[in-house]
Amino acid sequence: MSPPAWLGYDWLAPRFIGWMLEGVVQTAWLSLLVCVAASVLGIVLAALQPSRLRWPVNGWLAAHRYTPLLVQLLLWYFGVASLLPEGAMLWLNAPHAFGPLTWPSFEFLAAFIALTLYSSAFIAGEVEAGLRGVPAGQYAAAHALGMRPWQVLRHIVLPQALRLVYRPLLGQYLAVIKNTSLTMAIGVAELSYRSRQVETETLLTFQAFAVATLLYLLLVLGTQLAGVRLQTAQRGYGDA
Amino acid sequence: MHSEVITANLDYLLLGSWPQGQLGGMALTLLMGLAAAALASVLGIAAGVGLVMGRPAWRRLLGVACGTLRAIPVVMLIFWCYFLLPVLFGVDVPGTLTVIAALALIGGAFLAQTVQAGIDAAPAGQWQAGLALGFTRWQVLRWLILPPALRMMLPSFVNQWVSLLKDTSLAYVVGVAELTFVAAQVNNREQVYPLEVFAFIALCYLLLCSLLAWAGRRLGRSPQQA
Amino acid sequence: MKSKLILALLLAAGANSAFADRIDDIKKDGVLRVAAFDSNPPFGFLDAQTRQINGLDVDVARHIASKLGVKLELVPTNPANRIPLLVSGKADLIAANFTVTPDRAKQVDFSLPYFASGQQFIARKGSLQKPDQLAGLRVGADKGTTQEITLRDKYPATKVVSYDDTPLAFAALRNGNVNAITQDGSKLAALLANAPDKDKFEIAPFTLTREYQAIGLPKGEARLQKLVNDVLLSLEKNGEAQKIYDRWFGPSTKAPLPRDFKIGDKV
Repeated sequence: MSPPAWLGYDWLAPRFIGWMLEGVVQTAWLSLLVCVAASVLGIVLAALQPSRLRWPVNGWLAAHRYTPLLVQLLLWYFGVASLLPEGAMLWLNAPHAFGPLTWPSFEFLAAFIALTLYSSAFIAGEVEAGLRGVPAGQYAAAHALGMRPWQVLRHIVLPQALRLVYRPLLGQYLAVIKNTSLTMAIGVAELSYRSRQVETETLLTFQAFAVATLLYLLLVLGTQLAGVRLQTAQRGYGDA
Repeated sequence: MHSEVITANLDYLLLGSWPQGQLGGMALTLLMGLAAAALASVLGIAAGVGLVMGRPAWRRLLGVACGTLRAIPVVMLIFWCYFLLPVLFGVDVPGTLTVIAALALIGGAFLAQTVQAGIDAAPAGQWQAGLALGFTRWQVLRWLILPPALRMMLPSFVNQWVSLLKDTSLAYVVGVAELTFVAAQVNNREQVYPLEVFAFIALCYLLLCSLLAWAGRRLGRSPQQA
Repeated sequence: MKSKLILALLLAAGANSAFADRIDDIKKDGVLRVAAFDSNPPFGFLDAQTRQINGLDVDVARHIASKLGVKLELVPTNPANRIPLLVSGKADLIAANFTVTPDRAKQVDFSLPYFASGQQFIARKGSLQKPDQLAGLRVGADKGTTQEITLRDKYPATKVVSYDDTPLAFAALRNGNVNAITQDGSKLAALLANAPDKDKFEIAPFTLTREYQAIGLPKGEARLQKLVNDVLLSLEKNGEAQKIYDRWFGPSTKAPLPRDFKIGDKV
């Protein structure tokens, strides 16, 4: 009459909650690095759109937008890695220290590269929409003031463009957090990977997934709330 | 590059074990993607309209539900639907349908936001004009507001469809024999050609998604041409 | 309010499984659904010619299905999905090189063991000779396996990286992402025998554990369990078990392995 044991009322031991929290740290850290790198790359890609490089850039964007992230991760970790010379792989997998910084695991590195390239393709789209939203007169005026094209972009156009597409960009950052969950397929010890590890050890499937889902909700909704707050606060500051 | 590994397994990658066994591979990916896209569109429009027209309590509930679905990684939702719902409700739904349902829920939650914003963006004058002509609120929505709003939203819908088509690859984690899963099987058997196998299926997805995006854009153009 | 609802659902689900007699459902549907590996020769793998799953576990499952007089339907699985597939009712049995452990016995029931093996390692030739060398190494394992747990418990200085399936772990070993991979010795022998670049690797000459593999069953299905056990014992008695073993591990196979365990042996 009692529910099956795996659905039972056993709670996860503190040790396993600890594993999950370590997973959260890994998820947050990977997300943060990817958001920063993908934003930089996304802005560059968007800025290249009006240039002569338009066609290659469009091809690049399509290749990254129109293939699943999971496939890109598998391709980088298992495929591209098999092309690298043995010496390079040895170095990449060995521990190195640069002052206080330590070299990340190859899993983390592959995840970072794949996620950054994938996310930057979408961020480029949002930034481009923002650039189009800035009136053309502004370019002309800045040019007339003797500014160079990249100065116009950096000081005049980009700040306005980013403000215009703040919410869609925030959406892309939230997507990055959720997308890190796929890196469990290549052995990155983030939250989803940790939840399967806890499941392996405890066989408490329901509890392991429930805790992981809850932590994702907190992470994503918390970031969303912080992002919206930040925007309101800045607006208030600008108005004053 | 060793293209033999692709040619030797081409029929399996494209069709799975069909016709002797079940349909799989790229064909199943396409079918699942289209089904999820259609279902997500219906759900998204229904929920988006509900978010505008419903009673306040319902609107709040719907808003929370959509917000939650948008905040959960797709992989997690697929796990829930596949392994845990059957136990909770005692019904066993085939894996393919489970994944379609999970994807449609998430896609619908994102589209609901789009639809709500699209309806809210309609000029207030249209509502007033419609109501003044004696239409009910629902009639105004159905005949005046929604048609142009949906046409405006088409690009967002197409993006969502493409992203659902890509997300069918996550069925890999629960063993549904779509393209990524059969590719992993082939890769596991052949062992030494991961680059060839995964690059090939990346091209397959690129082709499918480009076609879907192209078809979606054409859909938006046709009314003006007619 | 909400938690009460969930509790009620859980109780209802529990009640369902307590009353159901799976054997009747299987006969009524005419189908036995068995979770089997699709990437782990020779236990369960995708046959290159027929595009169907085949292997030692599948042969055993076929006999169980024919004893029940129903069709066999294979549900492809990786190691980590085995127990979830069974407890969620997506499969009636697990026949996927499934190791008997006391922890698992709390969630699922086991048949008599029909295979025995031990945890071993594949590494580059000459690189791994003794268990104490494991400290500080990066070792690839499969998610959801006993080997993963053993390494974490007994060799805390070893860094375990878990993949979805053994061939993927082997791919990581090939690329140099891990220094060794671990699984049942019998599985590793077959994996290595099928590897095009097998001359670069070897099975390390030590075994960590002795493990027994059995059919996994849902909890409390006594009739089904008895039927499975009867099938297994009769396979041994009429020599069919030996035939199945020889088909996959006999002298004429790619990775011959002497048979040191018979069904019904004391474990």
